[in-house]
Amino acid sequence: MAGTNAPYRPFLEVRNLTLQYKTARYLITATDDVSFDVAESDRLILLGPSGCGKSTILKAVGGFLKPAGGSITLGGSGIKKPGADRAIVFQEFDQLLPWKTALENIVFAIRQTRGAGKAEAEEEAKVLLKKVNLSSFAHTYPHALSGGMKQRVAIARCLALKSKIILMDEPFASLDALTRQKMQEELLELWADTKITLVFVTHSIDEAITLGTRIIVLSPHPGKVVCEFPVDWSQINSKNHPEYAGLKERITRILFRDMDFVI
Amino acid sequence: MSNKETIPFDLLKTNCAETPQIPEEIKRKLSLWEKLYNVPALRKITLLVFLAFAWQLYAAYLDNALMVPTLTDTARGFFEAVKSAELPLRTLTSLRVICIGYSGGVLLAGLLTVFAITTKPGTDLLEIFTAMFNPLPAIALLPLALLWFGLGYPSIIFVIIHAVTWPVALNIYAGFMGVSTTLRMVGKNYELAGFRFVFKILIPAAFPHILTGLKIGWAFSWRTLIAAELVFGVSSGSGGLGWFIYEKKNQLDINFVFAGLLTVIIIGVFIEGMVFKSIEERTVVKWGMKF
Repeated sequence: MAGTNAPYRPFLEVRNLTLQYKTARYLITATDDVSFDVAESDRLILLGPSGCGKSTILKAVGGFLKPAGGSITLGGSGIKKPGADRAIVFQEFDQLLPWKTALENIVFAIRQTRGAGKAEAEEEAKVLLKKVNLSSFAHTYPHALSGGMKQRVAIARCLALKSKIILMDEPFASLDALTRQKMQEELLELWADTKITLVFVTHSIDEAITLGTRIIVLSPHPGKVVCEFPVDWSQINSKNHPEYAGLKERITRILFRDMDFVI
Repeated sequence: MSNKETIPFDLLKTNCAETPQIPEEIKRKLSLWEKLYNVPALRKITLLVFLAFAWQLYAAYLDNALMVPTLTDTARGFFEAVKSAELPLRTLTSLRVICIGYSGGVLLAGLLTVFAITTKPGTDLLEIFTAMFNPLPAIALLPLALLWFGLGYPSIIFVIIHAVTWPVALNIYAGFMGVSTTLRMVGKNYELAGFRFVFKILIPAAFPHILTGLKIGWAFSWRTLIAAELVFGVSSGSGGLGWFIYEKKNQLDINFVFAGLLTVIIIGVFIEGMVFKSIEERTVVKWGMKF
């Protein structure tokens, strides 16, 4: 926001986004006319059942998919191709380079995207590994790390890019329930530390309320925005709080209303 | 906690077995014999010793050095040929030729696959070439090679390149195709493109396949080389191992023939068991990518 009189412009703007992809026989519309904004330091959650195109939206923001209609702009400029200004954490555990140790994975990210020197990159990578509590696994190869550890390295690697926004595509979906809860807490701590803008895709209502500052609920086939909920954490600061249950109830009802004809 | 106290003591007791059965052997040290039996190398060496004995006994029983020389005769022949520098020189000639042929084949395979993954016609071309030439034994091209390149090592190098290129190209290509979408997206996310993408993402990610290709290519080329040298040995002064075997058969020095064959085996085993194995240990095994 340059001048004082300049109108408020959101950081990430998704406008009337229509995404399509082709299979062997059909042209499938994944999302239809989806619009939303993300302000800086937001933690925006895209929530919806499978088939609502939430991951596809994230891929489009990542630049891996050309929109069939509508536009995506980040910091005022349109997104045309993948780039290091949008760090991505995937759901798959194989996103780490298996031929590099945890530390080397982060060093690689730093050096490839920011052209930093080796010693400098290593120092920075060590700090990041400490942030995700993996200092003692710096020299371990990914295949010897647990699922939760791999995702932590992936998150550290994303922070290493120093991008303005992090896109997370169900990063905790393949983890066991206990690890998942722990990772959510850690992610919130990291956010408190960095105040980085986050777009987080999930199909878990609990995860959405726990992590988000705003939740966008999408309906399936094709994906459309159903409604948007702000999550006020000064009000809901515990899962036992009545507000939490109320919000969860409302989102559940909306999701199941849409699910009726799907199941 | 408080729940525990509310459970009546009797109830807790009745659910327990009176005297728990403890198996007699929970943990014991393995005997020396069991430990030795668990070492694969030791088991194989024992088998080899038995086979060597069987060979020696059979050859002594047959008593026909022209058909099957004894193990001791073969060993004597081997050391004689090594001492006279004949066998080492022949081996060196073979190794030099295979080095040229093998690296030429691998290079060609690499170029073809890079062409194949970057362009559609390249893909089709590679598929047509591998489908056509992979089933064609390299040695079948030797007569033609002799016609084109004459009686000399260029002909042998030509057939070795043919033996190496197709299996290696096939494996590298399969490896590149098998690189996961997630890893590709990570590479694109870091804005890697062109050669940087190939060298920093595709090649290491496809390395298990590439290594398999290199191993198969080596085995093919070694066989092809020895076979080609057998057929072709007119300029005998500079012949290789294959020629050594052929020549000794003509002179009826059968124990030297056996010594030559043994050398072929030893070099094959060394390259596969030591060279490729150690590359594997340092890469795909360490990375947990071995399949």
